Amino acid sequence: MPETATQERQAAVADPGAAVTAEQRLRAHVETLERRLRKRDEQRRAMLHIMGDLSEFNKRLANQRKAMLHVLADYEQDRRRLARQTERLDSSRRALLHILQDSHQDKLRLEASRKAMIHIMGDLRETTAEMQRREQELRDKQEQLVQAGKLATLGELTTGVAHELNNPLNNIGLFVGNAVDLIELAVTEKGQIVGELRHAMQQVSKATEIISHLRTFGRAAPVSREPISLRQVIERALSLMREQLRLREIEVTVDLGPEEPVVLGNAIQLEQVFINLLTNARDAVAEAPRKAIRISGSTGSGAVEVALADSGHGIPPGLERRIFDPFFTTKEVGKGTGLGLSITYGIINEHGGTISVVSPPGAGATFLIHLPLAPAETEETSP
Amino acid sequence: MTTTLSVLIVDDDPALLQALPQALRLRMGEVTVETAESAAAALERIAVQDYDAIVTDIKMPGMDGLALLAEIRTRRPDTPTLIITGHGENELVVRALRGGACDFIQKPIDRGYFVAALYRAIWAHVQNRRAKDRQLALESCAEELEQIVQKLEREPRAVPGRAES
Repeated sequence: MPETATQERQAAVADPGAAVTAEQRLRAHVETLERRLRKRDEQRRAMLHIMGDLSEFNKRLANQRKAMLHVLADYEQDRRRLARQTERLDSSRRALLHILQDSHQDKLRLEASRKAMIHIMGDLRETTAEMQRREQELRDKQEQLVQAGKLATLGELTTGVAHELNNPLNNIGLFVGNAVDLIELAVTEKGQIVGELRHAMQQVSKATEIISHLRTFGRAAPVSREPISLRQVIERALSLMREQLRLREIEVTVDLGPEEPVVLGNAIQLEQVFINLLTNARDAVAEAPRKAIRISGSTGSGAVEVALADSGHGIPPGLERRIFDPFFTTKEVGKGTGLGLSITYGIINEHGGTISVVSPPGAGATFLIHLPLAPAETEETSP
Repeated sequence: MTTTLSVLIVDDDPALLQALPQALRLRMGEVTVETAESAAAALERIAVQDYDAIVTDIKMPGMDGLALLAEIRTRRPDTPTLIITGHGENELVVRALRGGACDFIQKPIDRGYFVAALYRAIWAHVQNRRAKDRQLALESCAEELEQIVQKLEREPRAVPGRAES
């Protein structure tokens, strides 16, 4: 266009008439130009407006992008978290699998154990039967031991008893001999002869008593249980020992108190207990300056306690625990079997009682026997 | 042995103290039998009386027969003592004989044997005593003779006739 305008101006210069037209044309052209300028201005303004809008829009977009980025970051985080959880889940799953496998194995193992257990139960049942058999055997042996002990006690008693029997037999011989002499001398008075014979009879019954007591004691009788008077048991044991104790000048005192203790048990066995204890006490006081044995008892509720104390030198410290062991003896070989106290222990145990010994230094030994009393008889004798 | 014999029997069994004296009275006739139930009682009797023989059991509570025997030997050394022992107690028999017992009697007592042993012991005792008496008499005779001899020796000049020759 500028070329056109320049051409026009040149034309106008060259042609004055033409100049007016040219001017008009020019003016029109300026107007057009102005219009175009205005239009352009409007367009520019519109453009500016649009630009402002665009900028606004752009800003909003940027904001949205930022927000989007945040969202994306969040999303990324979530994704990562999810991935981690997935991983964790995966490992848990693997662990679970392991556990399941283990549990399966455990189950197998349990099954095996159960089977083994059944075997063991079977074995156990057999063992129990065997144990019961052994126990029975042991009980039989114990009974045999008690019998052996009784015979041993009898053997020990024999010397004393022989002396005891010898005396009545000797006296019988003398009394009967006297009677024979009286008859041979033709003594007419019968009273004298009868007197001699009566004396002889008394001695016969004395000897019979000793023999029958020994027989009862030595008999392997079935062990029965019945209410028995402890006082009587002690008296009978003393009667077998009396001669020996008397000859050794051993002073024996018995004090069971006013009660009459009755225990449920076997008279012969309990008698043996006291014979064994008396035999021990007899030997314990042999060298002592004062020879005494004291049997004392006290009856409480449901039980009786009997103490047998001697004035001997006591039990050497450390031996109290062993004295109840079978075959343990402090006596010389051939003097004691070592069975007495172990049998005593066994018998008292079988009677549901206890036996213990106390031997303070410098004093004699005291054996303490604790026995349950027989339950009081409930049956009332109605007339 | 015309006088009544006296015997002491010591035993702790009352029945024996009844039977044995009766046996002695029946078998020995003139005999006085006394009894003691223990060695201590026997010693009391011995202190006041001199027996012709003492018979004692060996086993007694308290002082036993052997201890009693030893006491008798010191207090009445001349009295014959017999010991009663149980059957088969040989060791005790030997100890009794060593302790001065003049004999032993085993239970059960055979009365014939017992009486014979007692007689023998008493007879030995009497013989012994008689021998001692005679010895004493002889000794006094010998002493008398010796005194006469001494007297004669002290008075040689008193012999008549010597001075005159």
